[in-house]
Amino acid sequence: MTSPAITSTRASWRDHAGSWLPVLATLALLGVGLSSSGYIVTVLGFAAIYGVFSTGLNFFMGYTGQASFGQNAFAALGGYGSAILTAGHGMEPVLALLIATTVSVAIAFAVGYPTLRLRGHYLAMATFALGLITYEITIEWTSLTQGYMGYSGIPPIGLFGYELVTEKQMLVVLVAFALLGVWISNRLRRSRFGRALAAIAGSEPAAAALGVNVAGYKLVAFVIAAAYGSVAGSLFAHFVGFISPEVFGTSMVVLSFTMLYLGGIGTTWGPLVGAVIVSLLPEALRGLKELQDVAYCVILVAILIFAPRGLAGFAPAIKQFFNRGAAAKAE
Amino acid sequence: MALLSVQNVTMRFGGLLANDNISFDVPEGSIFAVIGPNGAGKTTLFNSIAGSLKPTSGKVVFDGQPITGLPQAAIASRGLIRTYQLVQLFKDLTVAENVEIGFHRVTRGGVGSALLRPRWFREQEESIARKARELLAFVGLGDQADMIADKLPYGRQRLLEVARALAAEPRLILLDEPAAGLNTQETAALADVIHRVNERGVTVLLIEHDMGLVMKVAQRIAVLDFGKKIAEGTPDEIRSHPDVLTAYLGGVEMADG
Amino acid sequence: MADITQLLQSLITGVGVGLIYGLVGIGFCVIYNASGIVNFAQGVFVMLGGMICHALLTRLGLPLVLAAVLAVPIVAGIGMLIETLVVRPMWNRGATMFAIILATLATQIMIERITILTLGDQPRSFPEFTPGGPLKLGDIAVGYQLFWILGCGALMVGLLWLFFTRTRTGRALRACSQNREAAALLGIPVGRMLLVSFALSAALGAVAGILVTPTQVTAFNIGTPFGVNGFIAAIIGGFGSAAGALAGGVLLGVLQAAAIVLFGAGFKNVAALSTLLVVLLLFPSGIFAGFKGFKRA
Repeated sequence: MTSPAITSTRASWRDHAGSWLPVLATLALLGVGLSSSGYIVTVLGFAAIYGVFSTGLNFFMGYTGQASFGQNAFAALGGYGSAILTAGHGMEPVLALLIATTVSVAIAFAVGYPTLRLRGHYLAMATFALGLITYEITIEWTSLTQGYMGYSGIPPIGLFGYELVTEKQMLVVLVAFALLGVWISNRLRRSRFGRALAAIAGSEPAAAALGVNVAGYKLVAFVIAAAYGSVAGSLFAHFVGFISPEVFGTSMVVLSFTMLYLGGIGTTWGPLVGAVIVSLLPEALRGLKELQDVAYCVILVAILIFAPRGLAGFAPAIKQFFNRGAAAKAE
Repeated sequence: MALLSVQNVTMRFGGLLANDNISFDVPEGSIFAVIGPNGAGKTTLFNSIAGSLKPTSGKVVFDGQPITGLPQAAIASRGLIRTYQLVQLFKDLTVAENVEIGFHRVTRGGVGSALLRPRWFREQEESIARKARELLAFVGLGDQADMIADKLPYGRQRLLEVARALAAEPRLILLDEPAAGLNTQETAALADVIHRVNERGVTVLLIEHDMGLVMKVAQRIAVLDFGKKIAEGTPDEIRSHPDVLTAYLGGVEMADG
Repeated sequence: MADITQLLQSLITGVGVGLIYGLVGIGFCVIYNASGIVNFAQGVFVMLGGMICHALLTRLGLPLVLAAVLAVPIVAGIGMLIETLVVRPMWNRGATMFAIILATLATQIMIERITILTLGDQPRSFPEFTPGGPLKLGDIAVGYQLFWILGCGALMVGLLWLFFTRTRTGRALRACSQNREAAALLGIPVGRMLLVSFALSAALGAVAGILVTPTQVTAFNIGTPFGVNGFIAAIIGGFGSAAGALAGGVLLGVLQAAAIVLFGAGFKNVAALSTLLVVLLLFPSGIFAGFKGFKRA
């Protein structure tokens, strides 16, 4: 009963639903945020920021199949860059964000070029070391970063003297950033560029045999992830108004990985979905108090063991369920 | 005129002489096969041509340019595309996506065009999608385009790898033991595809263990034994070549391919 | 002249710390050889060794020797627990290497948090094993604990050697490191070897942690620096040989000690981590063929 024409219209309908449903869901969530109390607004703000971070990480770890355990370094660069430029030197926040991101991108190129030649455990350990080095520097270079005390008095984001004072105004901007991040991710994935990344994730020798410059594409994916990380760090600084070394510590790595794996690594929407769910978890885990961090780790390990493809792993089953329903109706 | 010319290629691993001064020319538009028993040095020779090994001495010339020791991607970008003995598919992607990736060499565009999607980009995407389906139909995988590549039976994965290599619009396609692990029926389908690939104007060099396939498709054959080339000629010449009969077949009478 | 004395003094301290790094490095190698897994939670065993020994000492009032001897099997048990609950389930399901590394990293954070909740977040220490000292050699002081570290380090390497050459289990473990498939075909329970390697590696870490605590302090968060430095020691030593890891550790410890004298203590960790990057980048995948050849099915 399935003529080619019918199949193709259904496929295109599904494609559109696939790309629009999450947008609508995100906007609905934004609506909920805007109509509720301060605490939920804060939580959703963090979700959007982490969504940006994880979406970036997904370029390198999901699309390209590599590993970076040190992407928090670039969030720290963005966060401290924005803090120092705005609170320390009175610069316009948007300009500071752009400068901080540019610096992060330059550093990512310089650091990534030699580091990405490594493979396997060496790559994991080397990137982990990048994060740790940045962490140590934020603690020790007190004249620049104010060390353990952290950097406070960071102004909210704004443009031309107009500042987004309320948290709700800021939430709108953060959600816009998150959606823009996913939009870019989606466009890049469905292109020659994105296919080259997928080829590297699938088989590096085969990718090279088809003329893909493996090292070059890996580096670009790493740099894109760094840019996202840096923007996320800057947004965090402006949203909270205060940053410290701990904010960008190793627990950020584990937290973002939890989001990535929960939502579905390698999918376009997975990272943001994961970020929203994991950010709302403290609400659910409130009774656990100090055990919260332990609970995160348990959840991450459980996902890694039992559902390594995350929620996205259930998508085919759901699709099949609906298709079966449609087929039953047709008969 | 020779599209690919292997000139005095010698490959030494420590004390082992894997390839000893091997030379042959692959004429443009032909189907050329290199055969030999296991351990004759076929795979080493293949890797020297495809760029994953640099020969100890000797040259590989493609389209008049030396390519000896160039990285794999650089060799691919000149139009010499290889396949793998153990298929190297992008397992988690669909069959169609596998072929779409194959167009990398002959298309353009990076981050900027992917974001802005100008008209040429959209037209290119459409043409990639259309041509990918055509190639799949060409190798007989038209019905499986939306399947995950990993789920294909092994023989069809081979065909997919050929389709993906064709997407790169090769001038020469280098097939590494394409019949390995295939049953008779699958081998026959493969032979048919190789013929039709050649009819599209693509030069084929296959390195193969399976005599039946080689005798059926190749126009010219070089025979390796213990790292040396012991014979070269048409299938009929090879069939009756005394050295080949003794060395390759150990004196056993040759079955008709 | 004072500077030379200072430098020599710090080099001697460096040898002690370096031996500790070496023991941690051997711990990395033991698990890696048995399974191809690099356990990012290795440093946590060092932390647990010191913290648990301290808790037995102060909370139960046990004598130091007994506390130290008891702490080692407890930590080995925790290592086996990690293997059973985290690593083996992933291993059996054919998880990717990065996922396993990530899981061990998460385990480390989990254990650190649990340590804070149960044993507190304050730095702890306990006295040197032999009171008195330090031994004076001219202007240079050598703490007695250094001799304990030297002695116990040598003892551990000796015991490991006996274990790997003289016992059935040890020989089976070595067979696994040569060729896992062949070992499995010979009837060696490759899966159980993973458990043994985690126990052994955790015990090594615990010994290191107990030995080092009197010379500095221990706290919930010392795992990462010790883990990273142990990894560097293992890399310098060739990721496989115990003697190599020990030598690598001493080299690293001495370098670090010298760096502290020359540049100040603040950037000690930055110096160590940069050493890691330099070592990794100068020998990308090349010096230890085991890494390159290792592939998970």
